[in-house]
Amino acid sequence: MYQYLQEELEQLKSKIIRMGSLVETQIGDSFRALFNGDIELSEAVIQKDDEIDKFEIRIDKHCQRIFALTQPVAYDLRLIMASLMINTDLERMGDLAVSVSLKTKYLQDYVDLLHEMKIDELAGKVHAIIRMSIDCFVNGDSDLAKEIIRVDREIDRLESEVFNMLTDRMKEDNEMIVPCSHILTLTRNIERLADHAANIAEDVIFLIDAKIMKHTKDSPKDSHKGESQS
Amino acid sequence: MSHKIKTTGLNLFYGKTQALIDVNIKIKENHVTALIGPSGCGKSTFLRTLNRLNDLIDSVRIEGEVIIGDENIYDKGIDVVSLRKRVGMVFQKSNPFPKSIYENIAYGPRINGVSKRKSLDEIVEHSCKKAAIWDEVKDRLNDSAIGLSGGQQQRVCIARALAVEPDILLMDEPASALDPISTAKVEELIYELKKSLTIVIVTHNMQQAARVSDFCAFFLSGEIIEFEETARMFTRPTNEKTQNYISGKFG
Repeated sequence: MYQYLQEELEQLKSKIIRMGSLVETQIGDSFRALFNGDIELSEAVIQKDDEIDKFEIRIDKHCQRIFALTQPVAYDLRLIMASLMINTDLERMGDLAVSVSLKTKYLQDYVDLLHEMKIDELAGKVHAIIRMSIDCFVNGDSDLAKEIIRVDREIDRLESEVFNMLTDRMKEDNEMIVPCSHILTLTRNIERLADHAANIAEDVIFLIDAKIMKHTKDSPKDSHKGESQS
Repeated sequence: MSHKIKTTGLNLFYGKTQALIDVNIKIKENHVTALIGPSGCGKSTFLRTLNRLNDLIDSVRIEGEVIIGDENIYDKGIDVVSLRKRVGMVFQKSNPFPKSIYENIAYGPRINGVSKRKSLDEIVEHSCKKAAIWDEVKDRLNDSAIGLSGGQQQRVCIARALAVEPDILLMDEPASALDPISTAKVEELIYELKKSLTIVIVTHNMQQAARVSDFCAFFLSGEIIEFEETARMFTRPTNEKTQNYISGKFG
């Protein structure tokens, strides 16, 4: 039933790409709403999250069906396992786009502060790494996946820099504690988006090279171990 | 999507022993329906009711209806030879005639009145292509079918069944005597054939049922316990007995 399995896997891959596209659009819209103070767009992002949640379940069910009916092995098995993991990451990214959008109303009067605190630079890098993560899955490009893991570390350093700028600003001016606290949470959400993109990169390395990156020294998640927040 | 086969209140007795109990099932056209269940559950007996092969056993008594197309195949006046032309069958053990590959496949059309060599040549080629055996036998059609490998023999038997252009193909464990590569070829073939045929397959191999079928009927002690889309049965069976059987707890 090689032909049937291959057709199922193609359909599954298409669904992951569709899910990736939906999530990437949501993230782009949430950033645009944030930096333009566009409440209407931020609410549209929040509304659309339901579509992503439903799509996640469709992909889960599809994977379940392929497992139950075809007993996949080797690359085919890894593709389904990777798809399940990527699906979870994409759904979480969708939730984080909602979290970013929820901050828009609190920060609509502080757009200049967002720029001053380099949030636009952080968001730009994160948006780029998300696109890269979807591209590396589409093209099965494990070299690009390794590049994503490297860029994620740059993003972590930028987040630390932003953290320091925000705490300095709060120390200087008590009036800025509330907006800076919102930006602090926002920064964490944006950085988490990059972590999920790096997870996808790890899944692509698992898919293509059959290497498990989790809990190795090269894993972005484990590179945090022992580090303080700032 | 119409139903090709429908049974109503089907009971079958071997003497005093009831082998099928009130079997009601609707089998969809151009789909593969797998019959699964432990040995002696009635799945092969049921399969053989669909082309009246059980008629050949003296002690068999059948009640109920088996509707194929729009007629009850157990009505008086049904031409059983014509029925078996419409409802082809492939068995567990390949059973080619001790004749050439060509003659095996041409046999059915010949006894149905096709005599022109050109027509027979076309039927043999077409049937072999449909059975995915043409490339392997086209240069040796006059060789004995007995000299082929088990997997090739089975596909020649499938080609022989297809040569009389049936609407329905019954397959009784068609791959259980084959090696994994030949099994994969037969499974691919089933996937292709369902585009033009309705297929009912008995298999002991649950993974095979999962791979090849669209619908699945689980038989136990002569009864259908569950009849469901295969994808649903293998992910969310509704009956605990089905769950236990497909997960290997008994059988």
